[in-house]
Amino acid sequence: MVDMLIMVTINGEAKRFSIAPGDLLLDVLRREAYFGVKRGCETGECGACTVLVNGKPINSCLMFGAQAEGTEILTIEGVAPDGKLDPIQTAFLDHGAVQCGFCTPGMILSARALLAGRPDPTEAEVREALAGNFCRCTGYLKPVEAVLAAAQANREAGLSGARTKSGRSRGQARKRQ
Amino acid sequence: MNSSRSVVGKNLHKVDGYKLVTGRPAFTDDIHIPGMLYGKILPSPHAHARIKHIDTSRAKNLPGVRAVLTYKDVPRVPHTTAGQSWPEPSPYDTYLLDSKMRLVGDRVAAVAAESRAIADEALRLIEVEYEILPSILEIEVAMLEGAPVIHDEPDSTGIHDARHNVAGHILKEIGNVEEGFRESDLVIEHEYRTQRQQHCAIEPHVTISWLDSDDRLVIRTSTQVPYHTRRQVAMILQLPVGRVHVIKPRIGGGFGGKQEMVLEDICGALALATRRPVKIEYTREEEFYMARSRHPQILTIKMGFKRDGTLVANKMSVLATTGAYGSHANTVQGNTGSKVLPIYRTPNMRFECNVVYTNTPVAGAFRGYGCPQGYFAQESVMDEAAHKLGIDPVELRKKNMIRLGDIDALSAELGEGKKGLPRHIRSCGLPECLDRGAAAIDWVRKRKEYSEAALSSRRHDSHLRRGVGVACSMQGSGIAGVDWAAASLKLNEDGSFNLQVGAADLGTGADTVLAQIGAETLGVTLDKMIVYSGDTDFTPFDVGAYASSTTIISGGAVKKAAEKVRAEILRIASKMLETPADNLTCRDNMVVTKCECKKSVSMTDLAYYAMYKEKVQVMENASHWNTDSPPPFCAQFAEVEVDRETGLIRVLHLVTAVDLGVAINPMQAEGQSEGAVAQSLGYGLTEEMVLDEFGRVINPSFLDYKMLGPKDMPKLTTILVETEEPLGPYGAKSISEIPINAPAPAVANAVFHAIGVRFHRLPIRPEDVLLGLREKRAC
Amino acid sequence: MFDHIECFYRPGTLREALLLLRKLGKRGAIVAGATDIVTRADRSPRFFIDVTHLGLDFVRKNRRGCAIGAATTMMALEKSPITCRLAGGILAKAAATCGSIQNRNMATLGGNLANASPAADTAAVLLALDAQLVVDGSRRKRKIPLAEFYIGPHQTVLNGELIKEIVIPALPGGGRWGWSFQKLGRTETDIALVNAAAGLQADSRGRIKWARIALGAVGPMPLRARAAEKLLIGNALSEELLARAGEVAMGEVSPINDGRASANYRREMSAVLVRRALRECACHAGIPILD
Repeated sequence: MVDMLIMVTINGEAKRFSIAPGDLLLDVLRREAYFGVKRGCETGECGACTVLVNGKPINSCLMFGAQAEGTEILTIEGVAPDGKLDPIQTAFLDHGAVQCGFCTPGMILSARALLAGRPDPTEAEVREALAGNFCRCTGYLKPVEAVLAAAQANREAGLSGARTKSGRSRGQARKRQ
Repeated sequence: MNSSRSVVGKNLHKVDGYKLVTGRPAFTDDIHIPGMLYGKILPSPHAHARIKHIDTSRAKNLPGVRAVLTYKDVPRVPHTTAGQSWPEPSPYDTYLLDSKMRLVGDRVAAVAAESRAIADEALRLIEVEYEILPSILEIEVAMLEGAPVIHDEPDSTGIHDARHNVAGHILKEIGNVEEGFRESDLVIEHEYRTQRQQHCAIEPHVTISWLDSDDRLVIRTSTQVPYHTRRQVAMILQLPVGRVHVIKPRIGGGFGGKQEMVLEDICGALALATRRPVKIEYTREEEFYMARSRHPQILTIKMGFKRDGTLVANKMSVLATTGAYGSHANTVQGNTGSKVLPIYRTPNMRFECNVVYTNTPVAGAFRGYGCPQGYFAQESVMDEAAHKLGIDPVELRKKNMIRLGDIDALSAELGEGKKGLPRHIRSCGLPECLDRGAAAIDWVRKRKEYSEAALSSRRHDSHLRRGVGVACSMQGSGIAGVDWAAASLKLNEDGSFNLQVGAADLGTGADTVLAQIGAETLGVTLDKMIVYSGDTDFTPFDVGAYASSTTIISGGAVKKAAEKVRAEILRIASKMLETPADNLTCRDNMVVTKCECKKSVSMTDLAYYAMYKEKVQVMENASHWNTDSPPPFCAQFAEVEVDRETGLIRVLHLVTAVDLGVAINPMQAEGQSEGAVAQSLGYGLTEEMVLDEFGRVINPSFLDYKMLGPKDMPKLTTILVETEEPLGPYGAKSISEIPINAPAPAVANAVFHAIGVRFHRLPIRPEDVLLGLREKRAC
Repeated sequence: MFDHIECFYRPGTLREALLLLRKLGKRGAIVAGATDIVTRADRSPRFFIDVTHLGLDFVRKNRRGCAIGAATTMMALEKSPITCRLAGGILAKAAATCGSIQNRNMATLGGNLANASPAADTAAVLLALDAQLVVDGSRRKRKIPLAEFYIGPHQTVLNGELIKEIVIPALPGGGRWGWSFQKLGRTETDIALVNAAAGLQADSRGRIKWARIALGAVGPMPLRARAAEKLLIGNALSEELLARAGEVAMGEVSPINDGRASANYRREMSAVLVRRALRECACHAGIPILD
């Protein structure tokens, strides 16, 4: 076995890792202390190990580290740089979408990829986006509500000043606190 | 309920929410200790076998292997893995490592090696010669004369009848059921079967163990029961309890699967053998073989009714299997009786059960703890009775349900493995649950409309039929006279408090709810509470997270401790403000006078005064237990659509109306309910561990063990019906388990409404629906 | 799990990939999306050859039909305007049911076909579309009709070769066309218990001129229900004919019992899905169904 070097950008930082040719990306990332990438099933079913590779959600347990060469990876650790929460993270807190929190990083990353391409998703689109992230705690209602609320918060932030039919979800979020 | 409260009853963020949404390293496996070894267990390939010969020399000689343990290397101490109060009411029939294998996946040997790959390779190098024994896979044959004896070892204790593979037996009767049946106008009797369901916490069982600089054994583990685990590990590894330190970090879900010592003993043994840190983490496949599951049961239930719907007699007989070991065998099945039958009043009740050993995966605690099985049977019969008597199913339940002021005598007979305490109903919102749930699903209109549609439909999509169904349940809130908890509170200079609890938040929000109770009592905001929980060195005792106990029992301890701290704060403030303590109250992070003079001192100033002038640490602890277990109540309604060509059942809407006492954090309480509903719908429709003829699990993966995902879940409506429970802190009861009991029978009853077929087995698979329709047509 | 892998090759040209494939023989395994190779955990290969940098991720259309690069992901198929329009979008629809978004972002069409699962959703659709595979070995290049590609569960005719592209021939012109893809699972994101793809062409009077019915997960490999197809040709559709086509298709399948479903259930569902697929085809094509 010959160790190989891969160059990746993780959460905006250029990294060089020495890996074994058969290493899975999940193992590489956790070894490098990206502990927010969770090990749940190692068969690509549960989605706890979801990261974004070039903006797309993938299961890092089903991707070899070697395949990540030259890519840009976003893990949960890079979602709130400087501690400023993404609206999705805030919405997860506001809506009680976090219980044990083990599947939460994967869900948030899946949601982030969705909202990057679909700023105004339907509930069905949100459910499709989260379909690869098993959660045994919440029954999915609150995570789905949270993603929809985050989409609205994003739109309002983007349209600050502009008139929108806003109000509703904001009001709800406030009520919840 | 009480609008004067500022913290309790509010939808506040989880106190651990920020670190969870940002993916901070908070879980057991989110650390890397230099020099850490990887532990791995060699699973038995046979359901029942004896090790004739085992040779570990090749494995030991593999470079990178640091220890290989077999039964020859470890103390033989009979114990139970059930995380229960001492003395545990489960048989002591388990050994750290044994020469006899009782299920596929039983522990043959354990290794610790420098990497996961070397550990895997070492397992392949262990040579084992087995004497294969005849095995028992079916529940019904376990007790037969001449059946192989699974626990023939002489040193196990607490087994009811080892020679007949009976781990536990219960028989209780109140009144006389046979007489009751004779007086009945309608008697319904059926057999129901429930399957083996798995918890499927997304975080698998994982434990890291090491010796600290004082050579004490530290166990960082994903557990619901840190204190019980400490006691059990100490006993098994023959260490004084004080030489073991158990740490529970954030837990990635438990649902009862972690109310069990699954890895801690063997991981600790490997750490002692190697004097190195050792980690063992189950793979998902190992979870299915080597962790725990819900007890499969065969229930025979017989209920007798008067023509007007009055329940006259209720008799339930259960034959359950605990798998190869008797973890929670007696108590889960006891619950099937004590928390199911009493929901309907009748003078004549009888509950009998046998819990048998089989060479199958070990069953254990699982959210609902015996109730989902019992309620599937009982609520199915209630629905059938309503149908046969021509009474609306909601009305039949209202007519017979337990009421405020009742004393449930059966629970006194069926305590935690012994006689228990009678249960007084001091709060009961069940009638309101039924009314509000029925309104939310539009019960009356849909019952009528769908019944008519079934008769008239001739359209193209006539293969689709809809129906609505209802089921009710009750649970408990802690184990009366057994569960207890302690809490400690300490004031800091900035007016913040360290709240230290032995309670084990496993993702349920317990830390948040306990902090809310503390903050409310002390008149401070939630951000002033610094919660640390579940560490046997740094937090006081708590039985752990199970039996829906944390809010009421641990919460009770927090409230008591906070009241003591509050009294001390008022004493100090009284000096500072020169006014009697009874003229003072805590509010908005201050102590303020009640009178018009409007004097106040901030909690911060008070803390500085106490610490640097009075030189006193404001700090108190308190313990709490209850003599009763106030039941929460729940009514659940399902609307389904059945495809009569494919047999697929689609749940369209699931309404849960639940009396949980006062909701300390309504948003978190709703979340508990929604998650329980998802697990129960899976129980009703898709989830089942299936074994082959060798006792192997044929679907040990999420590909083939089907949980419902976001696209499968129906519309959910959760109605919190708040009542004021006198025994609960701020009127709280519990929420974590109860909503898992009735969704499956509600769906089964809705399916009957839709297509006129009854189901007596879970899960209700599409094939079963088609078979049922065929049999109905043949009739 | 893959600690025995000696080298992970990432060739940049087809020529290099084929050279590696020849040099390594059975010790080398092709990695495309990796989703199947990781879960199957076959420990025999010692080398991996990544084929996702060979320029094989494309969807093209010309007069002769449509060509899809083998390394095209399920997600790209689902999104491509060409596949979304092709044959009523049934290939895009099938790709969209191949697991979660995470897996569809990685899994490739070539990998899905080469893995040769009897339940592969895209395979049933491509059978109905008369697809051919262009495969390349270091010595020869050949075109294999998908119908001749499989020899058993997880077995294909590939022999040290690599799938380059999948070609879908242009359909005969004229008439009214309708397509359908049907899938039955235990949950919404399940592997198929049974899947079915169908296509119909009818003349102006509603008589069927051309028919394709393909089924998955009901035999050792995805299959065409040729007798059921034949039954339709030259006839106008009626409820009775649809029912008969379903029954005939049921006779053409040879499902197994497994933990997912019984053989009987799969057989029965073959008829149901065929009926539903034909009905959907008729609906899309505007072909009347007589009562």
